[in-house]
Amino acid sequence: MTAPFFSLNGVSVRFGGLLALQRFSMAVAKGSIHALIGPNGAGKSTVFNCVSRFYTPSEGDIAFEGRSLLGVPAHRVAGLGIARTFQNIELCRSLTVLENVLIGMAPRVRGYFPFAPGFRRAAIERQAMAEAEALLERTGLVALRHVPAEALDFGHQKKLDLARALASKPRLLLLDEPAAGLRNREIAALDALLVGLAREQGITIVLVEHVMRLVMAVADRITVLNFGQKIAEGSAAEVRDDPNVIEAYLGQGSHA
Amino acid sequence: MFGSPSLARLAPLLLLPALGLLLPGHLPQYYLYLGNVIMMYAVLAIGLDLLLGWAGQFAFAHIAFFGIGVYGTALLQIRLKLPFILAMPGAALLAGLIGLLIAIPATRLRAVYLALATFAFAEGAQWVFNAWESMTNGADGLRIPAPSLFGHVMGNDPAAFPLVATLLALVLAATLYLTTSKLGRALCAVRESEHAAAASGIDVRGTKIVAFAISAVYAGVAGGMYTLYESFTNPEVFGFAQIVLVLSMIVVGGLGSVPGVLIGTVILGVLPTVLRTTMRDLLVWQELVYGVILILAMMFMPRGIWGLVRRKRRAVRP
Repeated sequence: MTAPFFSLNGVSVRFGGLLALQRFSMAVAKGSIHALIGPNGAGKSTVFNCVSRFYTPSEGDIAFEGRSLLGVPAHRVAGLGIARTFQNIELCRSLTVLENVLIGMAPRVRGYFPFAPGFRRAAIERQAMAEAEALLERTGLVALRHVPAEALDFGHQKKLDLARALASKPRLLLLDEPAAGLRNREIAALDALLVGLAREQGITIVLVEHVMRLVMAVADRITVLNFGQKIAEGSAAEVRDDPNVIEAYLGQGSHA
Repeated sequence: MFGSPSLARLAPLLLLPALGLLLPGHLPQYYLYLGNVIMMYAVLAIGLDLLLGWAGQFAFAHIAFFGIGVYGTALLQIRLKLPFILAMPGAALLAGLIGLLIAIPATRLRAVYLALATFAFAEGAQWVFNAWESMTNGADGLRIPAPSLFGHVMGNDPAAFPLVATLLALVLAATLYLTTSKLGRALCAVRESEHAAAASGIDVRGTKIVAFAISAVYAGVAGGMYTLYESFTNPEVFGFAQIVLVLSMIVVGGLGSVPGVLIGTVILGVLPTVLRTTMRDLLVWQELVYGVILILAMMFMPRGIWGLVRRKRRAVRP
């Protein structure tokens, strides 16, 4: 049996007296869309923040393509092929759409320090600029490329957050509530986009999401978290009928 | 803003050394003095802006590095008999090195704690300039030897003007190069969102440390420029009033933009002259005036004059 593409193994995270994650494990298959759901405060974003190396687990391990991430500093995670978006959109707000995408390309734009010979740098920059434009074309932001991020409406900011993540050409993409605040039509487009990324480009996606319609439509596998513990895992149909899941959601008065 | 600086953008900088050579024969000494002062402050302010406006780090040790630049350039010439052409880069590198050492602990701090710690460092440095009498001659001040470059002796305003202008041109070219690079993008990313920066593969702390060191080198270079036209210095030059002045230049002109900082530097550099000729009584209140300008600018135009200009231009071109 080969090691999973991406996995968390018995990960615990403690904030003072609060156990945000308790011996949490999940294994994500290459090329799949794996949803991570659960009520607010269940620990979903904590999982992402551990993978991003903003938090260090008190126990357990996180492995990507067979190597542990725990010895990797936060800024090297992207270079390994892992990108993410943020629940509360993190953009460089005063910079333009294009500049934000260029920042997302940072782990790939290498080979020069600011004082490297000018001609070499110019070539690298031209190449980066062309790739950024192509990505904006694909994500439908190209007409807005010189607009500062803070001037975009919410839906476009979400798109830009995603475009910035895609700019690093990740093999694993962590999406934190990409559908939150989007209109129905936009969610349908997101649905198609995520399926396209996974099926056509082979990007493995871990999706934290509250919009169940989207989760049920795109997820190959679903892991359910509650109070930092895994309470269910399986296909959409299996999870939907799981009594633990129904209790976790309905018991809190949430609508699943 | 991003992308390599083209030759077309760098070419206008050649005007500076050209004017530097041309003007001394045509302008009264006082204007040359004013020009030297403004050009020196431009380098000082752009250096502080790299840290404050670009990287978003509220650090105020800058005046200490300026002091290291001034005393370093002078003392390397006096003590080690180094020529200016080695003494100034040596002092700038020393400032950068000390900046790097300060940055390692300082980048663990944020916001007001960083401001306080770096302010304390600046006060400490001023104390050293005062107390280390065997080296700096303490509060009595230090006579700066007239530097010479390829036999051209400076130490007064007309003689220094061409080199001061050339150094400003070099610094502007370096800044253009730096801010349009991947490092420039990293500085902005760190300022705007440390999380997005880290998730995009940018070493947040490393970028801050580099910004600190580069900013300190700029202050060191400004210090070297000061020694070209001033023949005397004392620890008072490196006090709190000075940091307020440089800060006002950046904030009035526009944080995080080279043209903005240049505008702010010219306005606040010329201000004392205007006060002297129009409202002589106000001159004693100079430092208070700077403080008030700083507060008003922060309240009513947080992106400075350049921010207003850019907003106007954007409004015209949809």
